[in-house]
Amino acid sequence: MLGKSLKINKMIVNWSWREICFGQLWPVVVALTLIIASVVALSTLALRVEKVMTDHGRSLLAADLVFKSANPISTTLLEKTQQQGLIVSSQSQFQTMAFSEQKMQLVSVKSVESNYPLRGELNLTDQNQQLKHHVSPGELWLSARLFTLLDVEIGESIAIGDAQLNISGLIKDEPELIYNPFNSIPNLFIHHSDLDKTGAVQVGSRVNHRLFVNGSESALVMLQKETVLQAGESWVDQNKQGSTGGLIEKAKQYLSLTILMVILMAAVTLILTCLHYVRDRSETVSMLKSMGASRAWLRLWLSTQVFMMFVVAFVIGSFLGLILEFLLRLPLADILPEQLPSVGAQPFIFALVVALCIGLPALLIPLTRLLDAPAINVIQQQKINYTKKIWWLLLLPFSALLLFYGANKLVWMLLIGLLLLFVFLATLSYGLLKILAKLKWGPAFSLALSRINRSPRNSMMQLAALSGSLMLVALIWLIKSDLLGDWQQTIAPDVPNVFAVNISPEQRQGYLEQVDRLALPRSDAFAIIRGRITEVNEQSVSEHLGSKEELPHILQREINFTWAKELPVYNQLIEGQWTGEKTVSVEQKVAHDLDIKLGDSLTFEVNSQHFSATVNSLRSVQWQSMKPNFIFIFSEDVIIDLPATWMLSFRVEQAQGELVNQLARLYPTVSLLDFRSMGNKIQALLRQISWSLTGLASLGVVSGVLLIFTLLRLSLGERKREITLYRTLGASKKRINQTLWAEYGLLAISAGVVAAIAAEIILFSLMKWGFQLPTQLHPSMWLILPLLAVLIVLLSLSSVIKQLLKPLR
Amino acid sequence: MTKSVISNDSELSILKGISFTINAGESVAIMGTSGAGKSTLMGLLAGLDQPTSGSITLLNSTISEMDDEQRAKIRSESVGFVFQDFLLIPSLTALQNVTLPMLLRGNEDETSNNKKAKQLLQEVGLAGRETHLPTQLSGGEQQRVALARAFITQPKVLFADEPTGNLDQKTAAHIIELLFEMNKEQGTTLILVTHDANLAKRCQRTLIINDGQCQENPC
Ligand SMILES: Nc1ncnc2c1ncn2[C@@H]1O[C@H](COP(=O)(O)OP(=O)(O)O)[C@@H](O)[C@H]1O
Ligand SMILES: [Mg+2]
Repeated sequence: MLGKSLKINKMIVNWSWREICFGQLWPVVVALTLIIASVVALSTLALRVEKVMTDHGRSLLAADLVFKSANPISTTLLEKTQQQGLIVSSQSQFQTMAFSEQKMQLVSVKSVESNYPLRGELNLTDQNQQLKHHVSPGELWLSARLFTLLDVEIGESIAIGDAQLNISGLIKDEPELIYNPFNSIPNLFIHHSDLDKTGAVQVGSRVNHRLFVNGSESALVMLQKETVLQAGESWVDQNKQGSTGGLIEKAKQYLSLTILMVILMAAVTLILTCLHYVRDRSETVSMLKSMGASRAWLRLWLSTQVFMMFVVAFVIGSFLGLILEFLLRLPLADILPEQLPSVGAQPFIFALVVALCIGLPALLIPLTRLLDAPAINVIQQQKINYTKKIWWLLLLPFSALLLFYGANKLVWMLLIGLLLLFVFLATLSYGLLKILAKLKWGPAFSLALSRINRSPRNSMMQLAALSGSLMLVALIWLIKSDLLGDWQQTIAPDVPNVFAVNISPEQRQGYLEQVDRLALPRSDAFAIIRGRITEVNEQSVSEHLGSKEELPHILQREINFTWAKELPVYNQLIEGQWTGEKTVSVEQKVAHDLDIKLGDSLTFEVNSQHFSATVNSLRSVQWQSMKPNFIFIFSEDVIIDLPATWMLSFRVEQAQGELVNQLARLYPTVSLLDFRSMGNKIQALLRQISWSLTGLASLGVVSGVLLIFTLLRLSLGERKREITLYRTLGASKKRINQTLWAEYGLLAISAGVVAAIAAEIILFSLMKWGFQLPTQLHPSMWLILPLLAVLIVLLSLSSVIKQLLKPLR
Repeated sequence: MTKSVISNDSELSILKGISFTINAGESVAIMGTSGAGKSTLMGLLAGLDQPTSGSITLLNSTISEMDDEQRAKIRSESVGFVFQDFLLIPSLTALQNVTLPMLLRGNEDETSNNKKAKQLLQEVGLAGRETHLPTQLSGGEQQRVALARAFITQPKVLFADEPTGNLDQKTAAHIIELLFEMNKEQGTTLILVTHDANLAKRCQRTLIINDGQCQENPC
């Protein structure tokens, strides 16, 4: 018995193989392969980029995990880390005055242990330009600005608190960069063993203590779990901080969205090709049944085909996926380490699971219906009565979605929204076609319209598939464009990279002229007045916020106010107008956090002086644009009389370093914050990521267009019989030709319009709630999508028309 | 035996009371106008469908009382078909199409199947075309492959529903020659649905379906 079924298998395997290579199965296999290839490629890439980003984040953090505290690190915590075999390094950070022979300056002191940093790079250069990476006892390393501010050289000695130390050299690069132009206090490194000598750490003095911790993921999680945090204590890991974090996060979101959309497109293809295959196959099944094939035999036959399709698709798809990943990775070569982090089997397993979740219902539901094709159909076409329903297979993709995205409301909103939107739009466009059909048209159009209206279910399917894939193509491209557009402000070649702060009102005019003389592109100068927001509508902010658990960050410290005649052009007005007296414009996210609305009256405090202003507008601000940006911008009359310093930002090329020194010498009291090397790094990173995204989006668009092309060809192929019938009834080639063009042309245009509406709505929601970027309309898409649809129809129709009009043998 | 179907919510009687016996080895033509119910009758005789009332006995089995699977088993063991539209599997070669019924039967001896198939293909004049796909064959050649396929299981009964309906006259004549020749050789019972009175004459008996009734044409 076993031998028997095995022999049958051999023949069936042979047959299935032929079906996959030459038969109707290959579009199905292509769709499956596409799913596997894209999931393998994109998830491999995502995993790798993720790992690199994590490393990057950790090096900015100087460790895997940091414990921050206002009090010295407790011995219990230290013991716990020791028990768990973690590597630790302590740091104390405080501000104090540093004195040289001639000058004094407020400095930020970091006292570190010899093993600092646990992650990232510390580059120190001494007198002889020797590079060192760690701080040793007795050493003192200054940031570049301090040499000017204190007027000292390497080897000279300065006093830090009570300690007198000799300058060992210059800090070139350090981890723990905090990207904040207003954090203007220059820093220096001393060794932890010299901390006591400074006498800075006393009861009541403001010292920040940090414990850097490295170790295995599980040990770190355990440590955090076991530690009860006291007031003023917190854990920081790379997820919680990051200067480029926002942008990378968005790139990653885009990556996973693209995966989702490509999978959706492939799923559509898979379902349609399967339905097509089943329609084609039902005659064969009837024939096999008439020749005496049992259900068991047919089941074996079909399941062998399905199994083989999965195997073939998995092998080819994985291979293609790896090639694709390699190609997508090319533009990222510089940011990815040479030794790529290995990703293991995860992407392949993931791809297989995805393919099974989509493929099994898509294949098995229509295929099991095939089993019901009656034998009598070989001599008499009859309606098929379907006995068994295996719709429960649909639970597969849905439970998988639930498992993956269970908690992710956004994804569910997106999917449900998509569905509703689609039903609505499909009905709309169908109604449109109905109305069109009532109007007077030429014979070709009338015929086409009546054909569309005669088989509404079929037409709706076609319309849905066509507009769905067009919409996904549009989304893939436009999300990318909107994202990159947002980054453009950061990537543009003239983005400012040096900030000058602390300019006194008297120096302001002269300083601006000096910068202009050096021909450095600059921003306007902005007044800076430090203060707090105290009340909203005559109610203290905390009362106003009521039950919110945690007070927003900006309430915990002083922030920078400014006033302006006009709002900066690079801020986008979201609501309201920049007019009126005693008014203030508020950044939208802060406004949201503090529950501030247009027309609210806000009260502020600067140097214990109180004043109020009415909210006249809300703005969106791109903090990463490196331009001077403010949460609150007041109208002139509110704070013009308050004492202010001034700031501006300007662009200095890498080769123009001397100009910066020149400015520093001319205006020693003005603090210059040089972000050139950091800015360059971020710019390069973003530029590479945008290349990669563009490549990805192009691929997505190309495969989408190919998909639509294939679908149209399949749908046209199904017309063959009908067209032959028309021909036998005497319809001229010209008439058939015109009717086909009219029908598919109408289909294309309405699908294009539907897709444009849907894409616009989804794009708006995604940008607003998903990426939190400014939204915009895309008028060009309204033209391009219908045109693209017509173009694809044109291509697919002209590629099959000859064959369609050829008489059947 | 009667057969009626529900069509557009009303019952349509196609066969209204038909009764006859066909003996082993006979060749019988079923004639009638288009839509008379010839195909319906043939489908019932071959056990592809069930009658509304009455009973049908095929080779000593009351197939009208059997379920789908049991009837399929009988078909695979002792029935052969030739269809109007040939119904070859497009992705299989001529040889593979011919051996297919053997596999459905569970006869897995590849070498002997292939040998038999080659012999039959030679008989229908398609020697050397074994590896061709159906698309590489003309209509008449495809029907010849179908003939070879029908005879490979040495069926006790062969059903043919207008086997020449889609062929030109000359090709049709050739196919008919082959059909009768092979039928005679194997001593098969032949049930042939046809429009063609000349063709019907070559059968031993002719049944004419008219208005749901069946009458024997005495020739
Ligand atoms: N399942 C069915 N539903 C409705 N009408 C049917 C069905 N099966 C057969 N008929 C009708 O029964 C009549 C006989 O059909 P058929 O046996 O195919 O005729 P023919 O003699 O031409 O082969 C035809 O009018 C056909 O339309
Ligand atoms: Mg018929």
